[in-house]
Amino acid sequence: MSGPIVLGIETSCDETGVAVVEGSVVRSSVLGSQVDLHARFGGVVPEVAARAHVEAIRPLVHQALTAAGIHSDQLDAVAATRGPGLAGALMVGFGFGKALAWSLRKPFYGIDHMEGHLFAPRLEFPDYEPPAVVLLASGGHSQIVHVARWGVYETLGRTIDDAAGEAFDKLARFLGLGYPGGPAIDRESEGGDPDAIRFPRALADRPFDFSFSGLKTAVVTFLEKAKREGTLPSRADVAASIQEAIVDVLVDKTFNAVEATGVDAVGGGGGVLANRRLRTRLAEEAERRGVRLFVPAPRLCTDNGAMIAAVAVQRIEAGVPPTPWPEDVDPGLSLG
Amino acid sequence: MKVLALETATPASSVAVGEDGKLGAMSLHVDRRGHVSFLVPALDFVFSRLGWDPGETDVVAVDLGPGPFTGLRAGIATAQAVAAAVGARLVGVDSLSVLALRAATGRRRIWPVVDMRRGQIATRPFRPLPGGVAPDGPIELMAPEEFRATLECEPTDTLVVGDWSVLPEGFWSGLHRVRRGRPRYPSADVILEIASLKAANDEFLRPEELHPRYLREPDVAINWQRFRAEGVWP
Ligand SMILES: [Zn+2]
Repeated sequence: MSGPIVLGIETSCDETGVAVVEGSVVRSSVLGSQVDLHARFGGVVPEVAARAHVEAIRPLVHQALTAAGIHSDQLDAVAATRGPGLAGALMVGFGFGKALAWSLRKPFYGIDHMEGHLFAPRLEFPDYEPPAVVLLASGGHSQIVHVARWGVYETLGRTIDDAAGEAFDKLARFLGLGYPGGPAIDRESEGGDPDAIRFPRALADRPFDFSFSGLKTAVVTFLEKAKREGTLPSRADVAASIQEAIVDVLVDKTFNAVEATGVDAVGGGGGVLANRRLRTRLAEEAERRGVRLFVPAPRLCTDNGAMIAAVAVQRIEAGVPPTPWPEDVDPGLSLG
Repeated sequence: MKVLALETATPASSVAVGEDGKLGAMSLHVDRRGHVSFLVPALDFVFSRLGWDPGETDVVAVDLGPGPFTGLRAGIATAQAVAAAVGARLVGVDSLSVLALRAATGRRRIWPVVDMRRGQIATRPFRPLPGGVAPDGPIELMAPEEFRATLECEPTDTLVVGDWSVLPEGFWSGLHRVRRGRPRYPSADVILEIASLKAANDEFLRPEELHPRYLREPDVAINWQRFRAEGVWP
């Protein structure tokens, strides 16, 4: 088993991710997480993120190469996220990666972050191939993508307001659970009853789209009333019920898309896919319907450099020419 | 000794290469946003002009600011990458010195200006020396009114260079001992000169010492009130 050796760099948001991938094998993957930096602000601050990336990028690239036992001369290419994401953050990794590739006389590939998420399952499941329906959900994006074949993507549905991760963040803050909200609600839900409160599931009439802003309003209204009436349930019950409402919507819409497209493979990516309840429910539903599920380990669901390298590996194997040197980042990049 | 100099601290990006302080080739481009698309094509251009391979680079010199942050980071990330890839040593310069050195003309004290946006400039006084300039005070962020008051207190004839065109109308009226001059932006050929001197004096930076000179904390509104008080559980 081998293939092109690619260094992948990801700096679209608040994680500096660098990895070395050989074919479909992750030789190393390192992460400089900024969660603690942003936790005090309750969200990602673009200027804080960019400052952290420029400090972290060089040592992390060094660390990734060392951990992989690869000398930079042995690389076949360098890849970096081109968008979508925060402009100032993207520029650090993209600028570093491009200059590194040029200095080493190696090809450079600018990669769509979302396509990285689509590819991440390949690094864990050798038999993951399109056609597939992929659920992408994080703090920055929530969409359902039909992957007809590599490079041919159709976004079937997306959130019309908050991303799923944003909904978790906002609701966790409201429950006094801190940031980031996804893991906090996941933990708090452990002892809770997901059926304790029935929060609304929005957009029943639109099979593939989500909306999460109504959920927040519903939770706020419910809690204020319960407090007034002295019937406040346990925080674990509320957290579990909120989580269930979000997970329900994500699972339902994903399998609506599976049904509509007739594919027999479902993938997942983005930080929200690290949620344990969502993973369980996707697995149950896939089992029930007899479709194959490809949701990789949480560290491959959250932002990382390996998924960026994985896309470049496929580009190289497909003979796609590298990104021209004048190319700039594209913070508004979007899949088909 | 082959030196690569990178300048991205202002809307004018430039890249220069040369040997022993002598300019070999240079590429320049003015665009507020285009640093990332400019840099590598410019590197490619100047190296191929001289028929050099990136691996021959001994020193990478870069402007650490002050200047708008996005450009600074683009230049620094590029410098870090090139130096790491080819094993070159690093030199850091500051944008105000680059401006002052190019402006040096005889006896006037020099105040270079870099536009920091949001109604602020960065500046610092320099005293002319035979063949050069020497800093004569700290780097400061100032609003135009502060800068004007500072110039009013100058004891001698003064030369303001850099991006002084961002100062408001009427700024200059009554400042009789102050003259305005060029250059408007720092450029990589001057960095090349400074870098060669610094390299000769062994004034290198370790890669982990290559920080942008921000002068300003990131702008974040921390809503502690909302963050803490929201919700029904304390
Ligand atoms: Zn992501």
